[in-house]
Amino acid sequence: MVPQTSGQQRTVGWLFGVTGLALFTLMALLGVAMRLEQGDLISISPEWFYRLMTLHAAGMLAGALASMMGGLWLVVRSVVPSLNFGRAIASFAAIVTGVVLVLVAVLIGGFAAGWTFLYPLPFHSSGMWSTWSTVTFLVGMALVGVGFVIYCIDVLKATTETYGGLGGALGVTWLRGRAPIPPPPQVIAATAVSLQGIIAGAVGTTIIVALLDHAIDGQVTIDALWAKNLTYFFGHTIANLIIYLAAGMVYVLLPLYAGRQWKTSKPLVIGWLGTITFVLTAYSHHLYMDFVQPGAAQLVSLVASSAAAIPVAVVTIYTGMMLVWGSRYRWTLTSVLLYLGFAGWAIGGMGAVIDSLIPVNFRLHNTLWVPAHFHNYLMMGIGLWMLAFVSYMLERASGRTARKRVTLLAPVALIVGGYGFIFSWYVSGALGIPRRWAVHPPGTQDYSIVASIFAIVFLLGFFAVLAEFISMGRQAWRRRGLATTPSAPPQIAGASPEADIASSPSPQPMVKAGFGLITIVAMAVAAMFVFFPPISDASELNVKYHHLVHAFQFFTGAMLGVAAASSPSFFNRFAPRWTNAALAIVIVVPVAMLLYMIPAIYSGLVDNDFLHASYHLFVVFLGLLTGLGAALLGRVAGWTILATAVGMALMFAPGVSGG
Amino acid sequence: MLAMGSMELNFGEFQIVVMIVFAVIVIFLGAIFVLVAIQARRNVEFEIVTNTGYRLRRYWITFLVLLLGSSVVFSLFFTPYPGSAHTTATVRVSGGLFYWSMSPQKVPAGSDVHFDVTSVDVNHGFGIYDPDGVLLGSVQAMPGYHNNLDLTLDKPGTYLISCLEYCGFKHDKMVRKFEVSS
Repeated sequence: MVPQTSGQQRTVGWLFGVTGLALFTLMALLGVAMRLEQGDLISISPEWFYRLMTLHAAGMLAGALASMMGGLWLVVRSVVPSLNFGRAIASFAAIVTGVVLVLVAVLIGGFAAGWTFLYPLPFHSSGMWSTWSTVTFLVGMALVGVGFVIYCIDVLKATTETYGGLGGALGVTWLRGRAPIPPPPQVIAATAVSLQGIIAGAVGTTIIVALLDHAIDGQVTIDALWAKNLTYFFGHTIANLIIYLAAGMVYVLLPLYAGRQWKTSKPLVIGWLGTITFVLTAYSHHLYMDFVQPGAAQLVSLVASSAAAIPVAVVTIYTGMMLVWGSRYRWTLTSVLLYLGFAGWAIGGMGAVIDSLIPVNFRLHNTLWVPAHFHNYLMMGIGLWMLAFVSYMLERASGRTARKRVTLLAPVALIVGGYGFIFSWYVSGALGIPRRWAVHPPGTQDYSIVASIFAIVFLLGFFAVLAEFISMGRQAWRRRGLATTPSAPPQIAGASPEADIASSPSPQPMVKAGFGLITIVAMAVAAMFVFFPPISDASELNVKYHHLVHAFQFFTGAMLGVAAASSPSFFNRFAPRWTNAALAIVIVVPVAMLLYMIPAIYSGLVDNDFLHASYHLFVVFLGLLTGLGAALLGRVAGWTILATAVGMALMFAPGVSGG
Repeated sequence: MLAMGSMELNFGEFQIVVMIVFAVIVIFLGAIFVLVAIQARRNVEFEIVTNTGYRLRRYWITFLVLLLGSSVVFSLFFTPYPGSAHTTATVRVSGGLFYWSMSPQKVPAGSDVHFDVTSVDVNHGFGIYDPDGVLLGSVQAMPGYHNNLDLTLDKPGTYLISCLEYCGFKHDKMVRKFEVSS
């Protein structure tokens, strides 16, 4: 059965899908301009090249993220009706605002420290940009992250409440034989991605706020290795999660053209558990060439980077191929793009796995091999799936598929142009041409010229698809108000979205009365030991220990907040109606807590015992607010957000000092 | 400060092997996708597909685990991380916007060189190319930390040190020479 979509689903689909694709288009044009410049075919000053490079990457990330967030939301909402439309729109608004700020920072402010804003480069501009543009860029990136976190919290809350907790929504309960039916695969994907997204968002917020602290108060110093760890954890994880968001969407769209259902299987559940583990532990391969990085982190990353390929190759892509094999697959523009996206993921993934071996990385690190592999899976994997997503919605809305010549010729141009463009990069990387160079070494311009020609071929295919989209869009506009389910995609035998809805959602408090309540109150009391004079006196001698004490004070408040808000009278009264306020609290308050830890605020208070004590009690109060907010989000989302909020305070301590 | 100048880049043997391995993988994966696309036209009972697919998947996962596992283990024998090897020369390297300072600036051929690499401002990447223009490897130059890289430099001639971590608008100009005398 073709999934029935509501008006809200279509609104989210169009907003996220079309906006993401528009950003992708603009950023692709910037990318081609940079490639032409590297081939000496046009002239761009280094200042503008590095600005465009920063914008290209940040814009692509935001566009691809938004698009695939919309794609997954659309297919999950059919089976999880409690996904909240308003929060999806709030997420979209945060991302768009973030992108606008990034545009302002780069185009007006001249910010060009790269999308990874690797400390301390944002504060060493060599006269290219000023602090306000750094701050604007950081706030912009933070808002993109906030948009993703709002989405993730809402998805995690909705899926876990619908499918009986985290184990239920990840399929673990079914795997252990404690549930009669498993959740649909898109729900497992959404739950796994949202869990990781909240963790990545917390790490990203911590490093961004630390940089903002430094911008506000120059006395704040940041450890460069700590900053690099947090930056790459955030950057790698977010970029990686986009394709897993997309995979959840493909679980639903591909079967529409294969006429076979993508069912949840035991390997799929185990594969997603593996993916959660490996995606969260792979980032350190970005620090292989930082020899001071602890060896254990390098080893974990080495194993995780290769292991991450196994669930993809053995479960998702393999099952996709089984669904297509012998299915009398219905080739339309959408289904062609869906199919080709698998190839981009597989080939780009292998390029990454090769580079994740330390001896290879030693010789290819920061050469053009790196952009080759991530463009491989971003452009030829996610990029094609972004097109497929919009194409799917247009097929439904217009009641027709793309014309035959576009269906045949545009993918040829996309494949020939795309892979020609990317392979020239792989070869250039093996030749040792550094990445992120405005001017390439003499004698290597031919590689850029060849790449530019292929990039233009890719663009021809891309714009042919966009032109067809406009034509289909016009038709869809004329058909608006008519039935939106076209005859185009085939029926899936035996599939019924309604049957997949386990039960109506039932928010659960984080802690139930009794032993749980006693435990968290005891933890709060135990954490209060940080107020004991010997501990607080000792922590005054070292800023990092002092920040650690703050973290425990925050934890104390958070536990008390959870205990208070988990009481049945409070929870039942406020939980359903105050969800949006709770969401705002758990995002804003931990940020405020980190912004609060700067010498400019606390250095004047230490000589006055009352003010000093008030300062620390305010940290407890911030924790209390966060605990209250988290508790109102229900058990799984609440504990996840609370753990990450306390984790932000703990992470902050070893990396930030000064004053 | 100079551009890469007259140095012509070349493929190293290691990099050629990496490209060949990758090419084999791409051809293998490409062939599978073409084969599945061709077979997609047929009408085969899904039960038959899944029965065969699940049986083959056992071999596929075994093959992948062995391939990836062995490459991970094998790679551990060739990491560039410094051990307790004897070094005959120590070169102190410091990166700054947009220069490299190195001391000494010359070592004899055959030296086991210990590069002590750091930065005075932002992150830089210490990439070293041999006289034939082959990238030997790189290590990060990070403020507040010292990354130590051990390399045996057998080939006499002019080596190039080039920044491999984006550091600002003259990043591509952050190149200098390093001599290995015969």
